[in-house]
Amino acid sequence: MKRNILTVIVGAALVVIFTLLLFTFQVRRSEVAVVTTFGKPARSLAEPNLYFKWPWPIQKVYKYDARVQNFEDKFSENFTRDNIILLSSVYVGWKISDAGTFIKTFPGDPLVSIPNAQGKLESMLRSAKIAVIGGHTLSEFVNADTKELKFDGIENEIEKTVQGELSTNDWGVSLEFLGFKKIGLPENVTQTVFERMKSERQQYISQYQSEGDSEAQKIRSAAERQAAETVSKAQAEATRIRAEGEAEAAKTLPIFQQNPELANYLLRIAALQQSLNQKATLIFDERTPPFDLFSHLPTNSSSSNP
Amino acid sequence: MSDEHEHHDHGHSHAPETRDAGSQALAEALRSSFAIIKIVMLLMVVAFFCSGFFQVGPQEKGVILRFGKPVGEGQKALMGSGLHWSFPYPIDEVVRIPITEIQKVASTTGWYFTTPEQELSGEEIPAGPSLNPAIDGYAITADRNIIHTRATLYYRIEDPIRYVFNFVSASNTIQNALDNALLYTAAHFKVDNALYTDVAGFQDAVEQRVSELTDQEQLGIVIDNCEIQNIPPRQLTDVFAQVTTARENRNKALNDAHSKANGIILQAGAQAATIVNQAESDRTRYVASINADAKRFSDLLPKFESNPNLFVQETLLPVMSQILTNVQDKMFLPVHADGKPVELRLMLNREPPEPKPAVQNP
Repeated sequence: MKRNILTVIVGAALVVIFTLLLFTFQVRRSEVAVVTTFGKPARSLAEPNLYFKWPWPIQKVYKYDARVQNFEDKFSENFTRDNIILLSSVYVGWKISDAGTFIKTFPGDPLVSIPNAQGKLESMLRSAKIAVIGGHTLSEFVNADTKELKFDGIENEIEKTVQGELSTNDWGVSLEFLGFKKIGLPENVTQTVFERMKSERQQYISQYQSEGDSEAQKIRSAAERQAAETVSKAQAEATRIRAEGEAEAAKTLPIFQQNPELANYLLRIAALQQSLNQKATLIFDERTPPFDLFSHLPTNSSSSNP
Repeated sequence: MSDEHEHHDHGHSHAPETRDAGSQALAEALRSSFAIIKIVMLLMVVAFFCSGFFQVGPQEKGVILRFGKPVGEGQKALMGSGLHWSFPYPIDEVVRIPITEIQKVASTTGWYFTTPEQELSGEEIPAGPSLNPAIDGYAITADRNIIHTRATLYYRIEDPIRYVFNFVSASNTIQNALDNALLYTAAHFKVDNALYTDVAGFQDAVEQRVSELTDQEQLGIVIDNCEIQNIPPRQLTDVFAQVTTARENRNKALNDAHSKANGIILQAGAQAATIVNQAESDRTRYVASINADAKRFSDLLPKFESNPNLFVQETLLPVMSQILTNVQDKMFLPVHADGKPVELRLMLNREPPEPKPAVQNP
């Protein structure tokens, strides 16, 4: 009976499917699971796969998100080592590493147990922060010198402290990372910071104003000095050049020395020519040539001249 | 369990041979209802396998989890948009990952309290005298100044499997890293560098820190870029602006001084060149004239030596006549007949001052 065989196959397939649904469950890559037998944790499963279980009243499966979860603590006040109140908030990434241990510490539905775990973690964090922040000065939180700055170091210390606590307590929880989310100062302190900033700014303003004038003055005077130097160098150079010319001219001296009398005469005649070039008044007597010619004239001519 | 029941009925329906109308009607009814059940069963099986079809939208990628494990590694595990098929639950399971090319996350803890509406309208609530730690965010700089800072980070998801399967909220984790990077960067930047002189350096430092943190946390993302905005506290906007103005004025004064200085130096250079050139030409002229004189001397020497008196006469007279034509006033004083010299009294006026210096004086 062909029809009956088909019916049997279809029926069998359905039976298999329903059985699978009842007796198996999957653990996804992002999950960890605990199987409880009559409420007591029996197996804890971390690897993604298909697993068998007894149906509901006997065994129950609790699945947890195994992924990294975020939370940040309250923005809270702590004293630094130099007695400054610092507000800080840190974020942490944590995850359930071992569901079997986790369910023993935080029993019940994940919707309740995970916030519980976070609460515990937060109080752990609070005491870690008191200890670590109290051991550092504010200048280790903020510093222009990256060698003095211990921002990372402080984060690591808090992380190490919490991790240490977690490993002694064994909650099946692991801390993946931790960092500062927010850092601040108490409200009234911000006001004094503002006042300090304001006076610093005013200092800058006056500094810039006076700096502008004095620097400009310096630049100008430096330029003037440089200019004077350049000119005096040029003058020295000019003197040197002229001296060079004179030295060169001195080479002609032997020529003139052949007859100093002639040289002297030529110089005097040139000087005479130059000095009487213009706007000169000359007064002669009759001994000066060419006026010596006048002395041979009749004397009555002298009365005609004033 | 109910299916197994139907099965039983099915087996029974063939066993008894009934001839009376009543049981025949019953058998008929059973047969027809059984046919319906068979159809329903078939439909269920078909539906079971058809439920394996699924669609992936344009802004997402699909990942098949077979018994909880992703099928394929890295990029191969990702299915693009379109129709796909997988084994139905409980064998396979489909996870959809929303993906756009570039993801964006904004910082949350460095800015004063403002709402998006105020931000859009540009309306500013007047700032109080202090910052309320509960609502106003800020960062402390290396020189313990307060600044407001915010950043927007753009990134790409490089490893969606890690991004989705390792983190409850990866974008939240990235945001934390970004907030942390702003604090960390501000903590080693001085206020003037963070606000004015090294904004680009600040931005790079933030980007680098975020990238370090997200690498450490193994988020499987690549930072595309990061935009930051730093401002002084609103309470001090005016005084910060004044510093900027003062600095600009100083820079202007310095620039002016520099250009003036350049002018002075250039002018001095020109003057120096003139002096040197003048000297050069003086030298040349001097040497040339001496040489000319020497030549003239050499030329005249034989003539002079042959008869010095005649030579003097010959040369002096043309000079005298030239001088006498040039000279303005000429006076001739003859000797008295008795041979006594003539006494002459002169009153000399200084030359009247030339007009040029007279103009310069006032």
